[in-house]
Amino acid sequence: MKRVDLILSERELDAVIKAIDAAGAPGYSVLKHVTGKGPHGLVSDSMDFSGLGANAHVIVFCPEDVLPKLRQGIQPLLDYYGGVAFVAEAEAL
Amino acid sequence: MDSSLILQNLLSPPVLFFFLGVIAVLVGSDLEIPAPLPKLFSLYLLLAIGFKGGLELQHSGLGGQVLPTIAAAVAMSLLVPVYSFLLLKLRFDGFNAAAIAATYGSISAVTFITAEGFLETQKLPFDGFMVAALALMESPAIIVGLLLVKLASPQRRPDAKEMRWQELLREAFLNSSVLLLVGSLVIGLLVAAYSPASVAKMLPFSEQLFYGALSFFLLDMGIVAAQRIRDLREAGAFLVGFSIVMPLFNSLVGVLISKGLGLEPGNALLFVVLCASASYIAVPAAMRMTVPEANPSLYISMALGVTFPFNIIVGIPLYMTLVNTFLPSPG
Repeated sequence: MKRVDLILSERELDAVIKAIDAAGAPGYSVLKHVTGKGPHGLVSDSMDFSGLGANAHVIVFCPEDVLPKLRQGIQPLLDYYGGVAFVAEAEAL
Repeated sequence: MDSSLILQNLLSPPVLFFFLGVIAVLVGSDLEIPAPLPKLFSLYLLLAIGFKGGLELQHSGLGGQVLPTIAAAVAMSLLVPVYSFLLLKLRFDGFNAAAIAATYGSISAVTFITAEGFLETQKLPFDGFMVAALALMESPAIIVGLLLVKLASPQRRPDAKEMRWQELLREAFLNSSVLLLVGSLVIGLLVAAYSPASVAKMLPFSEQLFYGALSFFLLDMGIVAAQRIRDLREAGAFLVGFSIVMPLFNSLVGVLISKGLGLEPGNALLFVVLCASASYIAVPAAMRMTVPEANPSLYISMALGVTFPFNIIVGIPLYMTLVNTFLPSPG
């Protein structure tokens, strides 16, 4: 089992979720209004009124064979809009 | 410039609350407005101003100055990005120059709403069709900005990003602020024409809460603008100067067009404010999506950290003075 953590702008959340679904991942969790600091400086939710919003943190647990499709769907979005994704081993309790 | 106009504007509740927000950040207060509230108030302001504009448009109709004024407003939103771009291209790459140029071609609804409040305190009338001009000036600058990127920024990088025109057009014409503003305008128009009895039921929401909501929203805008001040170091003196000089230049062009159109002083001020303001909602969202190469901290900080405060504090009374000078009232 793999764990994928994605951090991206809330504006691109719908597109990323579509890619996760299309890759056949069994599910995902979304944390909105994520603030902090990235390569382009501070990320805050103070521009939420403008529709720019803060970041979202998406967590996906999936079998290893889903990863190539997930990468294929998500990498172009991250390349175009920015954002990061990390993969780690996961083990059920 | 008439100093009493500046003083009256400075001492109006929305501007004073704006200052309070700025001071809160500068003194390190923990004053913070939870993110969903400013969003709610910004949607409310767009709904209320659109509805009110629709009611007034139904009464004034589409004759007289309405269509020429709207056409002139759209022409300005197409033209301002072009000459802004030519100036900015002297110092910046095509991506940043186009994104900033589009920002200054589009408008700030909150500056427009603040100008309406200023006119109400001055007891100067204005017409509902100016809201239609406001709505129609949001989108053209986005399209021009993107065309400028396409023309002036050849695919010179190996990883140059392909533009997504379908998404861009949807973002330009169907973004939430344009949709809500135009939708509320049409609803106001329909209600005034076919259900006048329900107008009175809407007024406690759309009019009596309006000034308080604007003041509260400007408190948040003061906080956000002050937080953007530190980003201005990255922008540098040229862009900070541009953020003030370009609105002033656009206001002069706007006054001359208002004179040519024969607008009344109230409508002329609103037209000038539309020409002189810069977008920090529709354009940044569209540019971030379609020109990711441009640096958002530049165009957002300029519009929000310099031009917006300048316009609501000094600009509106200054533009009123220009209007009074070039378009003296017949009375």
